[in-house]
Amino acid sequence: MVDAAAIDRPLRDFNPWPAVIVVCLVCLAVLFLAPTLGVLLSSVKTTRDIAFGELWTIPDTLFLGNFGEVIANPAVHRYILNTILVTVPATAASIALGVFAGYVFSKLPFRGSDVLFLILVSGMFFPPQVILIPLFRLFNTMGLIDTLWPIIIVHTALGIPICTLLMRNFFATVPNALREAAILEGANEWQVLMRVALPLSLPAIAVLATLQFTWIWNDFLWPLIFTNSDEKRTIMIGIVNLKGQYSVAWGVQGALSLIASIPTLIVFLFFQRYFIKGMTMGAVKG
Amino acid sequence: MKGVRAGSRSPIFCGARRMEQSNRFWRTVLLAAPVAVFTVFVIWPLLSSFHYSFTNWNGFNREFDYVGFSNYAKIVTDKLFLNAAINTVIWMVAAILLPTLLGLGLALLIDSRVPGGTMFKSIFYLPICLSAVVVGQIWVWIYQPDWGLLNTVIGLVSGEEFRYPWLAKPDTALGSVIIAWAWQQTGLSMVIYLAGLTSIPEDLIEVCEIEGATAWQRIRMLIIPLLTPATVVVIALSVINSLKGFDILYIMTGGGPFHSSDTLAMHMYNESFKKYLMGYGSAISVVLFLIALTIIRIYFRQLRRVDEIYG
Amino acid sequence: MADLRLENVSKRFGDVQVINGVDFAAKHGEFVVFVGPSGCGKSTLLRLITGLEETGGGRIFIGGADVTGMKPSKRGVAMVFQSYALFPHMTVEDNIGFGLRLAKLPKEEIGRRVAEAARILQIEDLLERKPRQLSGGQRQRVAIGRSIIRDPKVFLFDEPLSNLDAALRVQMRLEIARLHKRLGATMIYVTHDQTEAMTLADRIVVINRGRIEQVGSPIDLYDHPANRFVSGFIGSPAMNFIDVNEHGPENCTSLGAGSASIELDGCQVAGATAIGIRPEHLELAGPEEGDFPATVEIIEKLGAESLVYLQFDGSDLPLTMRTSPEHPLCAGETVHVRFNKDRIHFFDRDGKILNRP
Repeated sequence: MVDAAAIDRPLRDFNPWPAVIVVCLVCLAVLFLAPTLGVLLSSVKTTRDIAFGELWTIPDTLFLGNFGEVIANPAVHRYILNTILVTVPATAASIALGVFAGYVFSKLPFRGSDVLFLILVSGMFFPPQVILIPLFRLFNTMGLIDTLWPIIIVHTALGIPICTLLMRNFFATVPNALREAAILEGANEWQVLMRVALPLSLPAIAVLATLQFTWIWNDFLWPLIFTNSDEKRTIMIGIVNLKGQYSVAWGVQGALSLIASIPTLIVFLFFQRYFIKGMTMGAVKG
Repeated sequence: MKGVRAGSRSPIFCGARRMEQSNRFWRTVLLAAPVAVFTVFVIWPLLSSFHYSFTNWNGFNREFDYVGFSNYAKIVTDKLFLNAAINTVIWMVAAILLPTLLGLGLALLIDSRVPGGTMFKSIFYLPICLSAVVVGQIWVWIYQPDWGLLNTVIGLVSGEEFRYPWLAKPDTALGSVIIAWAWQQTGLSMVIYLAGLTSIPEDLIEVCEIEGATAWQRIRMLIIPLLTPATVVVIALSVINSLKGFDILYIMTGGGPFHSSDTLAMHMYNESFKKYLMGYGSAISVVLFLIALTIIRIYFRQLRRVDEIYG
Repeated sequence: MADLRLENVSKRFGDVQVINGVDFAAKHGEFVVFVGPSGCGKSTLLRLITGLEETGGGRIFIGGADVTGMKPSKRGVAMVFQSYALFPHMTVEDNIGFGLRLAKLPKEEIGRRVAEAARILQIEDLLERKPRQLSGGQRQRVAIGRSIIRDPKVFLFDEPLSNLDAALRVQMRLEIARLHKRLGATMIYVTHDQTEAMTLADRIVVINRGRIEQVGSPIDLYDHPANRFVSGFIGSPAMNFIDVNEHGPENCTSLGAGSASIELDGCQVAGATAIGIRPEHLELAGPEEGDFPATVEIIEKLGAESLVYLQFDGSDLPLTMRTSPEHPLCAGETVHVRFNKDRIHFFDRDGKILNRP
C-alpha cells in the first residue's frame, strides 16, 4: 500500500531506485547474516580448520563430529532439561496471571484500577538489577538457592507486566456486549472468561507465548544469580561453563550454540508474525 | 444510605447491586494471584533495595549493620562507579543512535516495496531471537585476533596480516560490544518503524505525489515527522534496554579490560556478587532505579505530547 | 476547448475490469459530477485522471496536453480527498502552503498566497492551528485551500462531503458551489449521493460497472433518462418500476401486479417490458378516474410534501407516491391512484428507454 513511500512509482521512464535499493538491502543483509553464518560454519568444521583461519570459508565436507560431541555430553542433556523445566512453567504461569489481571483491568475496572495497572506495567521498564539483591536474600532465606524455583518464580513475576498489558489491550477489543449477553444467559464471570473471552484471545496468547518462551529460554542473568551447581544450570549458563571444557574447541562451541538456539529459532521461523506483533504491540502501547 | 434502601426495594437496583457484589468478588479472585506475585517478587524487593542500601550486608550472614548514607557517599568517591556511569552514558548514546538510525533506514528501504521485502525483514530481525550468550559468542569470534572475521577482512583488504585484539584493548572493548549490541537491537527498531510506516495513511502519501514532492522531500517533510510516535518508542526502548545491558558485556568482556567496558549494571553485579558488597551494590541499584524512573517519566510525558498531535 | 478529455480510458485490477472504455470531455469552467453506486469505478476514474493509478489503456488530456503516463504532479490537477488528507504535524498554514514549499517558492509569496486562499475560504484565524484542533468542516476548507493555492487546471473532489454530518454537508455543498462560481475553474466531483450530484453539477456523468451510462444536465437526466439504471439512480425517492404483461389488450399497456393487472388505455409502446413512473407522477383520484386501487401502507409526512407508500391490492408490488400534505390519508385506507400518462417511461428488455410514438 505504501509502495510510494520511498520511491517514485515507475511511470514509463526507467526508474533506477528499486534496483539501487535491492542492492543496498542485499549488502546489508549479507553484513547482518555474516555473524550467524559464522556459527553455522564453525559447527561443521574441525578445531584444526578453524585454528588455521578456515572458519569463514564454505566447507567442502560437512564435519558432524562437533554435533556428535555435544549430543553425547550428558551435561548438555541436563542443561536443556533444566531450561525446559524453567521455561515451560514460567511461560504458562506468567500468561495465566496476565490473563486474569488483564481481564479485570479491561472488563471489570474499578476505582484505582488505572493506577494499579500502571504500576504493574511499569515493571516492564526497570533494569532487573534493581531487585537482584533482595531477591537473592529472599530465596537464600527460603533455602531455594541452587534450585530451579527462584528462576521460575522470578520469570513469572517479571512476565506479569507484558502479559497484563497485552491481554488488557486484547480483551478491550472483545465487545462488552458479549460478556453481558453471557451473564444474562446465567454464566458467571469465570465462565465468561474461560468460555467467551479466552477462546477469542488465542492470538494474543500465541503472541505472549512466543515472546515469553524466547525471553525465558535465552535468559542468562537469573540462572547465573540463583544457581551455582552444574546440576541446576540452564543451557545459556551451560554454554559459558563448557567454554572451559572446550576451550579451543570452537567447532563444538558453535554446535552447542546452535543447539541451544534451535527452540527459539523454531519459534522465530513459525511464529515470526506473532513475535513481531508482540514486540510492536508491547512497545507501541507501552 | 437512603439510596441503598430505596434500591433494595426496586428489583432493578437490587440486581445491579448483586452484580456489583459479584464483580467485586471476581475482581478479588482474579487479581489476587498476579498482584500477590508481583508485590512479593517485584515491588517488595524494589523497596528492600532502598533498605539494603543503608546496610553493610555481605550476602552470607543473616545479620548486617546499618551504615547510614556511607554507601551513597562511597558512590560519589568511587572512581569505578564514575567510570561505569560514563560508559553507561556512552553505551546509551550509541544504543540510541545506532539501532534507531539503522532501523529507520532499513524500514524505509524495506517499505519501498522492493522484491523480497519479507525475506529482508526476517534477516534483519533474526538476531532478536538469539540469546545474549550466543550473540556474545558470535561476536567474540568476529573480533578474535587470529582468525576472526574482522581481522581477516581487514587483512584481505590491506594485503597484510592484521591481528588486533579488539576486545582485549581498553580503547576498543566497549565500542566493539556496542556494535554487537546494535547488531541485535536494530531488528527491533526496524519492526517498530515498519509498524509505524503502515499506520501512515496512504492518502497523505498521495497528496505528496500530486503536489510533486521528491522522494527525499517526502521522507523529510512527511514520513519522518509522522514516525515521531514510533521514534519515541524506539528511543525509549533503546534507553531502557541499554540500562539493562549486562548479559552481552558479561559474555564478551566481563567489563574488562581494566574496567574499560564496565557499565552500571555490570559494576553493580561485580560489587555485589564478586566482592559481596551487597549493601553497596544495593545503593548502585537504587541509583539505577532512579535513572530508569526519570527516563520513564520523560518517556510517558513525550508519549502524551505525541498522542495529542497524532492520536 | 476541453480542459479534460478522456479517450477510451480503461483499467483492470487483476481479472476485474473496473473501467471499461470511457470517453468523456469536460468544457472549461464546467462542474462535472461523476455519480454511481459504490464500486462502480468512479473513484478509480478520478485516480486515473490524477495519475495515482496508471491507465490500462486509452489517453487522458488535460488542458489540451496528453498527460497519460505523466507523473501526478505534472498534470496540473489538485485533489480534495474524502479523508481531507491533512498532515497532522503541520499547521493549517503549512498544510495549505505545502505544494508551494515543495516548489521552493520565496517565503513572502507563499505567505501571500496562503493568506489569499484563507481569505476565500474564511479560515484566516485558523492558520496557526493543527488539523486535530479543527472541526470537520474546517478541515474540509483547509483541504480545499491546499488545492486552490496551486491554481490547477482541473480540481478533483473525491467524495469530499461524505465524512460530514447532514447539516454541514448541505452547507459545504453550497460553499463548493459558490467557490466554483468564484473561481470559474473546471471541477470534477465524485460522489455516490445523487442529491449532491443534482444540486452541484452543470453536467452529471452516471457511471455503472465501469461504463458511462449517461451524460447530461441534472434536469436532462431526471426527465429523459437513457435507461432503467439512470432512471432508478437519479431522483429520490426512486422511480417506481412495474413490469408489463406480455399479452395485454390492443392499444393498452397492461401492467402486471401479482394476480391482478392494471390496464393503461391509449398508451402503448411496442417492445416495452417495463415502465417507470416517478412518485410525483402518481396522483390520487376519484374511484372513476383512478387507474387502480391501492392500500396506503405508510405515510411519511415531510411537511412540504408527503410520501405515500402504497401496496397494490392483491400483490406485493410497492409503489411510492408524492402528494401534497393536505390529503387526509391514513394507513390501511384504500385509495385510487392515477398515472400521469405523459410521464411514463417505457423500457425494453435490456433496460433501454423506448421513445414514445
